[in-house]
Amino acid sequence: MAGVAELMGTTGVALAAEFHVPQIDEFLPPEIIFAGTPFAMNRIVMVRLIATAVMLLVFGITAARAKLIPGRWQGAVEWLIEFVQNNIVYEVMGELRGKRYVPMITTLFLTIMVFNLCGIIPFANMSANATFVMPLLFAVWTFVQYWRAAIREKGLLAYLKEELLPEGVPIPVYIILAPMQLIDIVLIRPASLAIRLFANMVAGHLIVALCFAATQFFLIESHNMMAGFGVLTLAGGFIMTLFEAFVAALQAFIFATLSCVYINLSYPEEA
Amino acid sequence: METQAVDGVKLFIPETYDIFWSAVVLVVVAVFFYKFFLPKFQAIFDERAAKIEGGIAKAEKAQADADAAKKKYEDQLNTARVDAAKIRDDARTEASHIIADARVKAEADAAQITANAQKSIESQQQQALVSLKGEVGALATALAGKILGSKLQDADVQTSMLDSMIEDIDKDSAGKAK
Repeated sequence: MAGVAELMGTTGVALAAEFHVPQIDEFLPPEIIFAGTPFAMNRIVMVRLIATAVMLLVFGITAARAKLIPGRWQGAVEWLIEFVQNNIVYEVMGELRGKRYVPMITTLFLTIMVFNLCGIIPFANMSANATFVMPLLFAVWTFVQYWRAAIREKGLLAYLKEELLPEGVPIPVYIILAPMQLIDIVLIRPASLAIRLFANMVAGHLIVALCFAATQFFLIESHNMMAGFGVLTLAGGFIMTLFEAFVAALQAFIFATLSCVYINLSYPEEA
Repeated sequence: METQAVDGVKLFIPETYDIFWSAVVLVVVAVFFYKFFLPKFQAIFDERAAKIEGGIAKAEKAQADADAAKKKYEDQLNTARVDAAKIRDDARTEASHIIADARVKAEADAAQITANAQKSIESQQQQALVSLKGEVGALATALAGKILGSKLQDADVQTSMLDSMIEDIDKDSAGKAK
């Protein structure tokens, strides 16, 4: 029990009877390997690399051993692949358009979900998406894809005209509408994707860490009348951990679905 | 709280090494999914679909074959039944013919035998009549000789007497016949 707070990634050992409140610093951990070079690693980068290695290993072995008649694990993985294909990509874009984007969205969904789940895996206790760059790169990928789709399907000028100066709008409104639309397709879409994912990971970690830090403080370090409250925070931490597992999958689903929606918006109206 | 606000903004300022490692991870992960993971599973899905479709087609073919075989055997059975009935009918007709022929032949034979027997009886009757006539004549001569003795030694008398006697017998038998 004494290790719980530490396991949950709250850095440092709390001094006796001192309530260690999780800080923003936890998302800016010190560089521990190759410090000062462009290849430096901090704790979150390490979690990310290990998570990547484990994911590639597990999925790689699953794919290499994939049989015509699937076992339970292969069945589960296949269910995930088909879920992304049918319930995310084809649901939003239809099969004809969607086919080209199935690999991209599958990559996004599975990677984001695995990275998010690191937030509740003991000893990692930190989402691999908990530095801003990773979600940002995912979002940039979507950004590039929907611009490419727009240029390919409509042509750049036609796309801009359609987005910035939509038909059937009174001309004076264009003065407000055009800049808003421009900011939307250039900045808001990728930024919202990245910030939503990143902020969810940060907030989730802070809440779980806070719950267990409080448990550590009330139940173990200060033996007083507040012990009952410690039990409550322990239960809270437990529930929030489960909730984080749900959020991990939910945020991956939202990211993948919105990527499909943005790409689909680049296509002409008719199917 | 003010320091915290500054820290918060820091979260969104990318570090060079973070950009580097994130990009590496993204490229590695994308290559893995694009080049290996998804094609592998797509191949499995396609192969499975082909197998299932092939299996269904095979089952349909087997069903069709079985139906054809069943129809063939039923046809053969029907033909056999018809043939058997025909053979039975033929046999029955032939048997009745044989019986009829045999009856006709038997009747003819019987008539022949009867006719032969009739003829033989008639001829034997004739023979018996002739021999009887001779014997009766001799007997009567002997008898009359004994009765008349020497009186009848003369051949002329003997002959005339015999003739008159035979005449009487003939008359007698003719009268009886009437």
